[in-house]
Amino acid sequence: MKDAGFIFGSYLVTLGSMVVFALVTLRRGRKSSGGVSDSDKTWL
Amino acid sequence: MDLSPRPPDQPDETSRGSSSGARARRRWLPVIILSLLGVGGIVIVTQFLTSAIDYYCNVDEIGVREGCETTSRLRVQGTVEQNSLKKTETKTRFVMTFNDKSIDVVYSGDPGGVFQECIAVVAHGRMVEGVFESNRIEVKHSNEYVEKNTERFEASGSAACSLAQG
Amino acid sequence: MSQLVTSTSATGTRATRVLGLLAILVMLWVVIGGLVFTPQDVVQGESVRIMYVHVPSAWIAYLAFILTAVASASWLIGKKHSMGFDRFAGASAEVGVMFMAITLVTGSLWGRLTWGEFWQWDPRLTTTAFLFVTYLGYLAVRRLEGSAEQRARRSAIIALLAVLEIPLVHFSVVIWRSLHQGATVLNPSGDVKLDDLMLFTLFSGVVGFTLVFFWLVLHRQRTMLLLDVVNRRGLDTAIANRRAEGSTN
Repeated sequence: MKDAGFIFGSYLVTLGSMVVFALVTLRRGRKSSGGVSDSDKTWL
Repeated sequence: MDLSPRPPDQPDETSRGSSSGARARRRWLPVIILSLLGVGGIVIVTQFLTSAIDYYCNVDEIGVREGCETTSRLRVQGTVEQNSLKKTETKTRFVMTFNDKSIDVVYSGDPGGVFQECIAVVAHGRMVEGVFESNRIEVKHSNEYVEKNTERFEASGSAACSLAQG
Repeated sequence: MSQLVTSTSATGTRATRVLGLLAILVMLWVVIGGLVFTPQDVVQGESVRIMYVHVPSAWIAYLAFILTAVASASWLIGKKHSMGFDRFAGASAEVGVMFMAITLVTGSLWGRLTWGEFWQWDPRLTTTAFLFVTYLGYLAVRRLEGSAEQRARRSAIIALLAVLEIPLVHFSVVIWRSLHQGATVLNPSGDVKLDDLMLFTLFSGVVGFTLVFFWLVLHRQRTMLLLDVVNRRGLDTAIANRRAEGSTN
């Protein structure tokens, strides 16, 4: 594929950003949920 | 703990010194940040957007429209005329057309990329004795996307010309 | 990414897991369709494949910022000033900034292949950069010290002002002469000049990115709620400790 570096790079940046954002968010959630009771977790 | 109100000349211990300074900083911080953002925005708009508004002059506007004077460096937009493209080792020559007006363009080097005949380009440079001497060419792609058809592509020689001819 | 769906997260529910799974499936098609099955463009060749991630990321960034403004207005107008609106606004803006960054990077790579330049200060690129910087500022203001209500009020006003930039960005290619091509799908004439499989993959990209957006926003706003609860508890404890100190003196 011509210009493969640019094309794969675009997909890598896109998917990589999404995955990193998701992982960081989940990690923060887990970290801060320890001291919070289930009654405060309105989604449960 | 004494929570009774105090006269203004007898401030609370906790509001003295560094804590009052911190409170003042907190109060002004949003204003400072918004001011910086505002200044940043004005710089972008005045320094970059102004020069960017109407990014180019069309070929038929050279020497006619304000800001398209032949004495200054210009960005000129037009279509590379079919059968006008000639490449040597160091130069690329072609005719650029817009609205039935044409100019000869000489570019130092090979534009590369998707540059080809019948494609719209923006050439950066100066008019020198009736020829536009360019040192930068940007291909201006249309908003049309068509599947590459090998047979049609080979028959025409230039994909953009085959697209222009339908 | 499947780990994200199956693992037990503090902010996850059955609904978010289903949403996450759907997002993964659609994104899988976008990647395979975009890189393998879709044809080359007659002029741009292979580089057209960047469109399937660049265009949806720009649209979802717009969506994110519009939802931020809607949630901010709801907070300002609502009698209860529900902090849920504020958290949604903040979460949506964070995810929007991520999508806007993706738009700028992928657009820059695509620009290098078509225009021959990574960046030019043309109207579309300049206004997009300005929009990105504005929302970075919005996120910075959200992190300033103050009560939750102060945070909500400040950021809601900024969000309502910042959203006005979106029409400027979108129509910059119509209002001014730009190096950036005009809109292919959301153009004023409504005439879409895109081959069928290209259009389908682009549409899949929009669906996939939308699913990812809502998945991220749901988790992020729940995380924000947890942090708000922790901070409030911390404040309550500090006040109680101070009162206890006061009563012993």
